[in-house]
Amino acid sequence: MNEVVAFWILSIIAIFGALVAVRKRNLIHGVFALLVFFAGLSGLFLLLLAEFIAAVQVLVYIGAVGILLLFAIMLTERVTGDDDRRVTSRGWFWGLVVTAAVFVVLLLPAIQQLPPPKAAQTIDPSVKELGHKLMNPYVVTLEVLALLLTAALIGAVTAAQGVRMPKEEDSPE
Amino acid sequence: MTLHHYLILAALLFCVGLMGAFTRRNAIVVLFSVEIMLNAANLNFIAFWRYSENPALLHGPLFTLFAIAVAAAEVAVGLALVIAVYRHFKTVDLESMDTLREE
Amino acid sequence: MSLEPLTLTDILIATVPLMLIFATLFAFTTWLERKALARIQNRIGPNKVGIPCTRIGLFGLGQPAADGIKMIFKEDIVPRGADRLFHLLAPILALIPAMLVLCFLPLNFPWIKNIQGLVKPFMLDGAVIFFFAITGLNTLAVFMAGWASRNKYSLLGGIRAVAQMVSYEIPLVLSAVIVVMMVGSLNAAEIVKEQADEYWFILSPWGFTAFVIFFIAALAETNRSPFDLPEAESEIIAGYFTEYSGFKFALFFLGEYIAMFAISGLAVTLFLGGGDGPGVTMNPEDQGLATEAFPGLSAVWFLAKIFALIAVMIWLRGTLPRLRVDQLMGFAWKFMLPLSILNILVAGFAWHAEQLDNTIITVITWVISFAVLYGAASGLNQLNRGKVRPREYKYAE
Repeated sequence: MNEVVAFWILSIIAIFGALVAVRKRNLIHGVFALLVFFAGLSGLFLLLLAEFIAAVQVLVYIGAVGILLLFAIMLTERVTGDDDRRVTSRGWFWGLVVTAAVFVVLLLPAIQQLPPPKAAQTIDPSVKELGHKLMNPYVVTLEVLALLLTAALIGAVTAAQGVRMPKEEDSPE
Repeated sequence: MTLHHYLILAALLFCVGLMGAFTRRNAIVVLFSVEIMLNAANLNFIAFWRYSENPALLHGPLFTLFAIAVAAAEVAVGLALVIAVYRHFKTVDLESMDTLREE
Repeated sequence: MSLEPLTLTDILIATVPLMLIFATLFAFTTWLERKALARIQNRIGPNKVGIPCTRIGLFGLGQPAADGIKMIFKEDIVPRGADRLFHLLAPILALIPAMLVLCFLPLNFPWIKNIQGLVKPFMLDGAVIFFFAITGLNTLAVFMAGWASRNKYSLLGGIRAVAQMVSYEIPLVLSAVIVVMMVGSLNAAEIVKEQADEYWFILSPWGFTAFVIFFIAALAETNRSPFDLPEAESEIIAGYFTEYSGFKFALFFLGEYIAMFAISGLAVTLFLGGGDGPGVTMNPEDQGLATEAFPGLSAVWFLAKIFALIAVMIWLRGTLPRLRVDQLMGFAWKFMLPLSILNILVAGFAWHAEQLDNTIITVITWVISFAVLYGAASGLNQLNRGKVRPREYKYAE
């Protein structure tokens, strides 16, 4: 019973957050709505007993990606985040049609064709087990991921730094 | 709660993200939308894992963990590119960035 | 772990006393801080407010209550250009994560014992990582406050706070990693139990280094002096809460102090043995529950250790000058980060040496790791010393 109520509340929060995030004119408000969406999703992960993933979701998405997005907006838009130009793209109508088509034609039939749902098994959520799995069968994946993150770090710094400006532009006379 | 509830929720969230990517002009909002789609996929992974025959294998959380790490790298590089583009074109409007030449 | 349904009473028994206790301690700490700072500066500090309608002063212990009443009745001002919604939400968002993480501290209050089988807030398998995840939300509240105020000083304070908190979160987490590595668990209760069985981690060379790094980073995370640049009144008025008054300001204040308690509590859990102390025996099978000389003794030990750390924070605030922004960033990235990474390596070797269970090897490891860490710290200090230049002024002579 509690689980059903929690599911509905969290899913409404998640959908509401996502909708506001993609449609809000003010980008800073949009980021915070996106963070509400991430938080709702983290709650859903907890409901599915994946507590480590829920913690990582909060840590990575809300703690790191959110801050990064805020900084990017402050660097590119005006500080208030208000966008008073046209925000909708030229092909918005066809975008909506394609979105609806993806949902109705692809996703719903695919979901309905699944075998009838079973009750979930009782499981014992254990971070320790996850850690063992990461260290034993998946250690190569983990290392590759570490390499990818390092490469992304260097790439991001290089891309954002751009071409170094000549020295005289730094000090106006 | 059954698996279908979670799958329909994830599909809805994915479509919200798709809608955002199709209907907004701002590059950063498009990046938001991509994140929403990725997260919807993660929800699917976790839901399938929870209702699977053998959850002790932990395939769902492991895959989600890797997906989150890749998504973090993607955001970092994506935003760096947006900033680099902004420096060049002085805008992040995707529809005005339609040339490869310097103007 | 089986998920038995909780009744509302159980949840309330587990959480409400926690909030009341820490709110009371907050009031007491504000008094303590004002008193201690006053003594450091050769003043007396608040000494008038005592029992109402009498002349009994009680060393000014009534001061927090008087402050609280003043805060509640003060006019709440919102700037005309401000984002009203975010201006309202920011103080709330600052308070909630700080309150929430208190649940992850392994405090053995006697009244929790009866419902331990049901309410296990701190028995979460990933308590430590949850702690860091939720503490990180504080950054967003600070940014929100700075941005919503539409005041350039607020915005500067907010940006400073975000940069500082993001930078210092890395050494903070990396030094906690050492404890997690040594214990092999993210569970707070298990970490405490391990320390009660073996030794408090602060007593080992790597543990001591990690503790010092953790404490410095914790000072920066909670915006305490000497890292209080986000609210530096001589530079940017009051930073991100320039435009806050009345009850909203009180919420920020409360959130800041609760965050101090929470992060000191984590330091106590990770390095100072949690609720361990004379008269307390940790029961291995009971997941962190303790046998105590009298009920509540381990909670008392825990709170006493927290207060010891808070006292050090107050002492530092009274004695150290504020850092400059470039010094602040340089310290995090050029000193703390390399040292904590090296510390992880040292701790890894030490863990393997301890597995051998040989006294001589253990002693040698301790000596070597002490030498390595001391050498690295002083070497980094020497390396960075030459690079701290006097400030170059752009718009002043």
